[in-house]
Amino acid sequence: MKQLPPFSAVAWTIAAFVLAALPHLAAMPPWLAAGILGACAWRLAAARYRWRPPPAFLRIVLTGLALLFVLVAFGGLWGRRTATVLLCVMLGAKMMEMFTVRDLRLVASVCFFLIATQFLFSERLMYLVYLVSGSLVATIALTRIQSVHAGTAKVEGGSELPAVRQAAVLLLLAAPVALTLFVLFPRLAQPLWGLPDQVMDGRTGLSDDMSPGSISNLFLDDSPAFRVEFDGPPPSPGERYWRGPVLWNFDGTTWTRPFFGDAPSRQFVPEGPGTVSYQVQLEPHERRWLFVLDYPVRGPDQALITVDHQMLNRHPVTTLTRYDVVSNPEFTDMPELSSGARAVALRLPEDRNPRTLALAAELRQQHPDDRDLINAVLGWFREEEFHYTLSAAPLGRHGADEFLFDLRSGYCEYYASAFAILMRAAGIPTRVVTGYQGGFWQAASEYLLVRQSDAHAWTEVWLEDGGWTRVDPTGAVSPARIEQGSRSVIDGPRHLFDLNWVQNMRNQYDRIQHLWNRWVLGFDHERQRDFLRGLGLPELTTERIALLMLLVLGLVMGPLSYALLRQPRARAADEVDRAWQLMLRRLKRRGLTKQASETPLEFAMRVLQTRPQEGERVVELALMYCRIHYGDNKAGSRPFIDQARAFRPART
Amino acid sequence: MSSPPGQVAHAGGAQADLDRAVAAVNRVIVDKSAVVELAFSALLAGGHLLIEDLPGVGKTTLAQALSLILGGSWQRVQFTNDMLPADILGVSVFRREDEQFEFRPGPVFANVVLADEINRATPRTQSALLEAMAEGQVTVDGQTHRLPQPFFVIATQNPLDMAGTYPLPDSQLDRFLLRTAIGYPAPAEERRLLIEPDRRELLGKLNAELDGDQVMALIRRATSLHVAEPVIDYIQALIQATRAHAGLRAGLSPRAALALIRTARANALVRGQDFCLPENVKLVFPALAGHRLQPLPESGLSSAEVVDDIIDVTPVP
Repeated sequence: MKQLPPFSAVAWTIAAFVLAALPHLAAMPPWLAAGILGACAWRLAAARYRWRPPPAFLRIVLTGLALLFVLVAFGGLWGRRTATVLLCVMLGAKMMEMFTVRDLRLVASVCFFLIATQFLFSERLMYLVYLVSGSLVATIALTRIQSVHAGTAKVEGGSELPAVRQAAVLLLLAAPVALTLFVLFPRLAQPLWGLPDQVMDGRTGLSDDMSPGSISNLFLDDSPAFRVEFDGPPPSPGERYWRGPVLWNFDGTTWTRPFFGDAPSRQFVPEGPGTVSYQVQLEPHERRWLFVLDYPVRGPDQALITVDHQMLNRHPVTTLTRYDVVSNPEFTDMPELSSGARAVALRLPEDRNPRTLALAAELRQQHPDDRDLINAVLGWFREEEFHYTLSAAPLGRHGADEFLFDLRSGYCEYYASAFAILMRAAGIPTRVVTGYQGGFWQAASEYLLVRQSDAHAWTEVWLEDGGWTRVDPTGAVSPARIEQGSRSVIDGPRHLFDLNWVQNMRNQYDRIQHLWNRWVLGFDHERQRDFLRGLGLPELTTERIALLMLLVLGLVMGPLSYALLRQPRARAADEVDRAWQLMLRRLKRRGLTKQASETPLEFAMRVLQTRPQEGERVVELALMYCRIHYGDNKAGSRPFIDQARAFRPART
Repeated sequence: MSSPPGQVAHAGGAQADLDRAVAAVNRVIVDKSAVVELAFSALLAGGHLLIEDLPGVGKTTLAQALSLILGGSWQRVQFTNDMLPADILGVSVFRREDEQFEFRPGPVFANVVLADEINRATPRTQSALLEAMAEGQVTVDGQTHRLPQPFFVIATQNPLDMAGTYPLPDSQLDRFLLRTAIGYPAPAEERRLLIEPDRRELLGKLNAELDGDQVMALIRRATSLHVAEPVIDYIQALIQATRAHAGLRAGLSPRAALALIRTARANALVRGQDFCLPENVKLVFPALAGHRLQPLPESGLSSAEVVDDIIDVTPVP
């Protein structure tokens, strides 16, 4: 078949491919992406100037080279990314031989699959735009290809608008079907395929240790960490401490979790009058932590509450995870401190921070009471020239000394660490808690948005009469950080995105993202059950769901199919055609096949030559058929229909 | 295909005369019924015919037979490279008696004009004839003279003898509705040619079977012949296929599409059908499209091969 598809069909197909491959191209080595785009450009030029396909050996060599490049680039590692890149490369190679309608259709169809594979890597809202636009362009390409095949393609240069409209209508028709499948398709507790393994795209989340003075990008990252919906009113900003890893061990530079950090709590936290219940949608962060307010009473079934009231998931959180929590802020943690725990909470490296240790001893003499001592330190922070700043200098061997006596400016980690060292030196058991503090209250949508930049560190001291008690030294220095959030303490815009209106847009976008998370990504088994119950449908077995799905699909597809199918049936000549086709099929079974390019009479004459005994009858019927099909007299179609149906070629 | 299967319906009168005319020409031109049919199709579609073949295969005999059978006037012009447009169109001569210019019509003023070896004439002379063919009239010294009706030009061209010739430019080739070759006769038929009396004698025996009015009536009838939707679909598919073909510089124009349907109708009429079949389209398509399409040199295909290719892949609805 030497017939070439028209330029517009080729151009749309290439557009569909480039659009579908866009996120994949961004994720592969640039020279590989450039090669694929080059192949597309070549094919486009070939369509414009009617070039011929390259010879087969060249195609084979180039494809082999491309495969070799993939092998080299990915070192033979087989995974999701390698597989999708391979698919893109093969489609790029396909450009060299995409010269028939069949090849075009293949490429345009695979584009849908390529779009779907992107959701193995990320399910963020912006990919919805990608999904819709990619599907639309691929559908336009298929529409264009189909019109070539059906011979209804317009002359070159005709408007593309009808094809666009047709494709849009097709997608709109598909929407109810997609919605039905989405709502009714049984949800699985575990996904069928593996979860995305690298969800952070190179960003850092909250880490499980803390070394003040090491560079931290977290405070510059405005991406959401999690979102919270409260069943009642939200707690006041000063109470929004989202508990993460609790750090007990200090080696002089770094705070880390203790060996018993993963041990389950034996303490029962009862509900109290101030109990809050809320729901958290946690963005994937590749760790097991589930952030909660102090102190978690109940979490989801699969979660574990540790000795220091941190909530841990069974697996690292690699997809958007939703969980319900009940917290009781008035709980008293560990009224009795075991000697082992006390020892860990007081341990300090002896050869570090001599000035801090001396200060602690001096303070201890002045204030025998623990509470007095703590207040004295906080007062000292408040009255001396301490500053809160994100651009703090790195610290050396005696970090707390440098910070408390020389530098006197830093962010929460500096304060929490120095404060904890001071307390431990004064004999008060202290631990550092990391997590998030504050959040942006989206009043219109009633949820709290906590960003990565809301990351925070504070301390907990153990008091004889109050158990573990939260003390936030940062609050003493910079109350605004606690009351108004991390952004309020920053002097000028960190970068372009701190401009007010940009911030507003980001907040608005997050509200949409929240809805997407809630109703699309978070539409799990439980939500599905609630939703169906809301529709008045009782508990559904899988079989019933399947039946319901078929029913709704039938309701949507039924009228559509009817509208589509009755159109050709309305033509009067159709019965004649069917009778003719039946006759042709019977002849075909005897080895007499009508070629598509043969006219009825040419075919009949051929039959006459090869099989004279039936040939005459076939010629006779073909003449009748021609008179009806090509003539203007449709009245006498009955005899033909009857005779053609009765016709039975003899066996040879 | 030996016996034409298109004898779907018959009509009397003019149709019978047409059948007799075709049969009479076929008696003179042996073994070339397909070419004769094309010639009549071109005539009844109101177009002109270009025969491109070697000398001695019967181009002139065919043209003579056609002109004799049509009864009207006929002229033969042997083109040479020193010929001027006036030699074809005619010339205005000053008459001393009544002190006026008088137009002396040239050989183009005839019902059938045989333009022999048209590629020997200069482009200027060629285009004078081609213009007359296209317009159906001749303008000399600001005076317009209508050509007689019917007006049918059969031009011949020798594709091999290229020395000192001016091949017709592509843009003017489509002034001819159809272009065809004749080819050698089959051995048995050639033997008949050798045994039978001289062609010139046979030509002399030909009677006019159709007169000018009958031809005009047949041309009119051809234009109203029924063409069903599937046949129009087929015509469109063929035209579209030329536009999408990789081996061609450009596809067929809408004018060519109109010419195709007109010729298919005329062919149906020649075959005695009262509606058009896909066969008619298929039959005239190579002669109609061959000289209107230019294959790309790098495709290595001739236009005839491209046309066959297109017919082979285009489904008949």
